[in-house]
Amino acid sequence: MSKVELKGYMEEAERPFNLRTALDEANRCLVCYDAPCSKACPAGTDPARFIRALKFRNVKGGIETIRENNPLGGICAKVCPYDQLCQGACSMTGIDKPIRIGKIQSFLIEQEEAFKMHVVKAPAEKKEGKVACIGAGPASLTCARELAKAGYSVTIFEREQRAGGMASYGIVPSRLPQKVVDHDIQLIADLGVQFVFGHEVKREDLEPFDAVFVGTGLWDAKIPSIEGAGLPGVYSAVDYLKKAGTEKEAFHAGKTVIVVGLGDVAVDCATTAKLLGAEDVRIMYRRTIEEAPADMDELKYALSLGVGITTGFYPVSAKGNGKLEIVEAAGFRDKEAKMTLSADTLVFATGQKAEKLDILDDLPISGKGTIEAQENGFVSGKVFAAGDVVNGGQTVVQAVADAKLTAAEIIAYLEKKGV
Amino acid sequence: MAFKKDLSVDFAGVKCLNPFFLASSPVGNNYDMISKAFEAGWGGVFYKNQDSVPEHEISPIFGVEEGDVGRSWGMFKNCEHASQNSMEQNLDYMRRLKEHYPEHRIFATIMGGSDEDWTNLVVSVAQAGIDGVELNMSCPHMGRDNMGADVGCNPALVEQYTRVAKKAARSGLKVITKMTPNITNMVPSALAAKNGGADGVSAINTVKSIIDLDKDLFTTEPVVNGKSAISGLSGRAVKPISLRFLCEMKQNPGLKDFPISSIGGVYTWEDAVDYLLLGATNIQVCTSIMEYGYRIIDDITSGLSYWMDEKGFEKLDDFIGKALPNIVSPSQFTRTFKIHPAFNHDKCIGCGRCYVSCYDGGHQAIKWLDEERRPQLIEENCVGCHLCQKVCPVINCITPGEVVFDEGAKPEKIVYKKNFD
Repeated sequence: MSKVELKGYMEEAERPFNLRTALDEANRCLVCYDAPCSKACPAGTDPARFIRALKFRNVKGGIETIRENNPLGGICAKVCPYDQLCQGACSMTGIDKPIRIGKIQSFLIEQEEAFKMHVVKAPAEKKEGKVACIGAGPASLTCARELAKAGYSVTIFEREQRAGGMASYGIVPSRLPQKVVDHDIQLIADLGVQFVFGHEVKREDLEPFDAVFVGTGLWDAKIPSIEGAGLPGVYSAVDYLKKAGTEKEAFHAGKTVIVVGLGDVAVDCATTAKLLGAEDVRIMYRRTIEEAPADMDELKYALSLGVGITTGFYPVSAKGNGKLEIVEAAGFRDKEAKMTLSADTLVFATGQKAEKLDILDDLPISGKGTIEAQENGFVSGKVFAAGDVVNGGQTVVQAVADAKLTAAEIIAYLEKKGV
Repeated sequence: MAFKKDLSVDFAGVKCLNPFFLASSPVGNNYDMISKAFEAGWGGVFYKNQDSVPEHEISPIFGVEEGDVGRSWGMFKNCEHASQNSMEQNLDYMRRLKEHYPEHRIFATIMGGSDEDWTNLVVSVAQAGIDGVELNMSCPHMGRDNMGADVGCNPALVEQYTRVAKKAARSGLKVITKMTPNITNMVPSALAAKNGGADGVSAINTVKSIIDLDKDLFTTEPVVNGKSAISGLSGRAVKPISLRFLCEMKQNPGLKDFPISSIGGVYTWEDAVDYLLLGATNIQVCTSIMEYGYRIIDDITSGLSYWMDEKGFEKLDDFIGKALPNIVSPSQFTRTFKIHPAFNHDKCIGCGRCYVSCYDGGHQAIKWLDEERRPQLIEENCVGCHLCQKVCPVINCITPGEVVFDEGAKPEKIVYKKNFD
């Protein structure tokens, strides 16, 4: 018998640490002299410091370290590819297995909420400078937090009704519960950051601001122009996840689902489909598993839910009478291979690109549709940018790292401007 | 059938199936408990303390360190008093135990406050046909003053009460005086017991202590209606203290052949071997049973048997007291050499703990190679303290290396610990 155990769509996949189990894990930490975990965090969250705090029973001190360094400490704790970052660098790997840093971070963030801690406070004396952030995803949220912490007035423009960007609309809740996203956002709002929701920002909106940060992300789906790409039942990953995230259990995720691609987003789509009741979910990937960029733990979790993988194939056409019924696939390396599959849902998780936005018109755009910004985030005039829209789509922690850097640059710019 | 060596031993003239007894404590307080323990493999019991004026028990009774709740206890604090059973009840239990388990040994622990008290208690418990009595002159948390540890700290009283008890004891009833560790030197009290006619001593009772304070209630555990008390500590933390007193008594010419029952932090067969190597012929156990139950005897006797087999020992007497010649005064150490640590760079995982500890707590004798993430010895600074080896998390990664003799010192064969598995 299969050991597959299906949890609810909104239910978190893993049991969290409590104080005792978190302390046990922290006590495994070797407290390295030159902690490689901290060196491996792009956002400078400093795990060595917060694990040491916990080990020496200073829970609040540990929370302080995370929150000071990482405005999205809660989100990162859930979705970071830690196996490639802090945990991948952990010295304990040389003895048995790395410290579960992400899980410890999640525990401390839960304690932050329980203690109602406000580690970062806006200064009593406000600065004159006003900054607009476009988009309420990880990059903008980070930039806004850093600027508000420095005393500037920040307004975030978001066309959706909710902040978080990909964190709210693009990641399955079993991996990233909405309450974790909301907690990070609430702490930023508590600093006085203004949110304007449901508003597609116009050029004239930006005139009163001394600086503008563009953190609009990548929301345009890359659906290959194959036959039948427009049939109902064919989705881009962003649309599929966003619909699932909005409609939740009411969303008809499909019965026989094929997800194309094998990155984290593809795995999230497959997990989403399975958790929302799809009978047969298959990931189709043109290369081999070892070439796939997906996090192995997430992939294993998807497999444990019963998701299957077909490697070496890519879809060449979608067919059906008024809706998707058949997917035809061909071998990517094996030129002879052909496959015909029944499916009512086909999700392309093969990457996203930047949308064409009116406000981006004057900005330098690369061939890939990303904004061409300098390394410090400067684009031109009073405009700065960071996150997926600049780096072409990476991790939340990378967006945090880039936006922290850019925020520092904006502060330098505003100081020079004398506001 | 589990592999088992002959673990029988003579303690104070009484032949015992094995040296492992329940200590006078909650673990040996009625017929059902003790019979279960005997069936599990324990060799005897020091039956829970009875005194002349029973005290109403407190609630709660115990405490452990904050981080140890539900974990492996490093130490255990109690403020428990004597058996809450009546003397008649206890006599009945002991009589039936003696009848059903004739080869097991029963010592009744008693505590009096005057000559008359002691006499009456000895005469009473002797009616159960038991093997001996243990005189509790060591309880650190009495509900009344001038009893327990107050007696044990006063050699004159120890001798007086022991003599009174011995006089009251019928012929053949053994008298063991229980020592308190809350004293700078146990030898005078042990000698006093011997002079008073005791057949042996037991040591140690619990250590007076205060453990973690509750940061809201501003007192320690157990919290009894907002208050606590300095009271008895037991468990792993007190084992080194008990071993020290045992060694000092066994090395005293007046006590070297005097039977000693050891108590304090025995969880494993290795703990038991430590006491036997320093000359104990009986071992009492309480805290580990309270934590894990009587079943821990399985691995004490099995582990001990396998170790004896490895070492070629056929009986306990083959190694009882074997470590005594090797514990000496620090003034007798060979002080002509140092042993440098050797770093195995292949095993090293680069955590740098050796570097941190050597710098902040040692002699700045390690250079940290930043690129390689490896330690390098600065020989001229190294004093051979081996702190680095004590913090290294990798098995046998830092080991004793070169033995360096002082200039002008005559090199000799040095015995040192090589295996840290």
